[in-house]
Amino acid sequence: MGGVDVGGGGGGKRETNSEINMIPFIDLLMVTISFLLITAVWSQMARINADAQVPGPPREVEPDKIEPEKQLHVEMRSPDKFVLIWKQSGTVISTVDVPRKDNMVVKDGKKAIRFPELAAKIEAEWKSVGGHRDATDKKFDQAVLHTDNETPYVYLIGVIDAIYQPHRPFNVAGKAEQVPAFNVTFAVN
Amino acid sequence: MTIHQPGRRLMHAVPLKFVQHKVTGGGSRATNANLSLTPMIDFLIVTVVFLLITFSASGETAMPKGIKLPDAENTLDMIDAPMVAITGSLILVDGNAAGNTRAIEDSKRLQRIDELFNMLKAKREVWKQLHPGREFPGVVVLQIDQDVQAIVVKSVFQTAAFAGFPNVSFMVNNIPKGG
Repeated sequence: MGGVDVGGGGGGKRETNSEINMIPFIDLLMVTISFLLITAVWSQMARINADAQVPGPPREVEPDKIEPEKQLHVEMRSPDKFVLIWKQSGTVISTVDVPRKDNMVVKDGKKAIRFPELAAKIEAEWKSVGGHRDATDKKFDQAVLHTDNETPYVYLIGVIDAIYQPHRPFNVAGKAEQVPAFNVTFAVN
Repeated sequence: MTIHQPGRRLMHAVPLKFVQHKVTGGGSRATNANLSLTPMIDFLIVTVVFLLITFSASGETAMPKGIKLPDAENTLDMIDAPMVAITGSLILVDGNAAGNTRAIEDSKRLQRIDELFNMLKAKREVWKQLHPGREFPGVVVLQIDQDVQAIVVKSVFQTAAFAGFPNVSFMVNNIPKGG
């Protein structure tokens, strides 16, 4: 066992060597490890952000007239293709079709779907058309998702995940972090 | 026959000299071995420190029954915000019923869910009373089952925005990129 040897200890006096009993110490470590392992969170939850694009409260000083920005409309109503439409104040600037392949993976009842081609195309579109790239720019490019009413939620998340593929730097507390380049909202119809 | 007082006499008569000889290492390697505890304690301490550093309560969120979250790669860290859970049949705000999923799916139209609206609005008012002078973040987290229809998602999304929660986050299972 662990102990402290300081030598000597003879001459009728009490022994100066002392033993530390390590058993309780090891027991404590074992119990702590068991507790931490049992309470560990193995499935990590995260979130995907969306913005309802609701106008804020009226300001005392209205800003100057701002030119309407380009928005990326992602149309997912067709079963065989996605349509990416860049619009500026209702005017269509460009349209791109992306073939749709629904590779649904079901594991233990959990469904997962990825659209890598769509993600790659959105990233390429943002690199060529996207307007907010600088870390100091507090605004984000807007993406509007068009879907029909019966689409299961797992497909929506698959498409939103693809829209969030392109990342840009963004200053958070003076430090540039990589965040998704788009803000997503839903089209009403 | 004499009566002997019982005591520690067991096996005293048996000459176990060969055992004593073996144990004390006479002639060959001793059978007693000292186990060094130092590496074991080092290992335990390193394990405890690692587990304490990686210990996090932020990812632990109560999940109502009947909800299977989808997976996503491009995610953000979870935040502390009101939770709205949407199962195949119910809408729950922090565990309390706030609407019926089936009714929205059957109506097939985008609508404001009044119960949900009132509960979220009440939460907003409480927050403002508890944090006077601070700007309301307007964030709500939605825990939605993977099979819920888009009309329900859009209705909840719109209702939350009307109730003063324009920043809506969808809770997902985080998966590594390319996973």
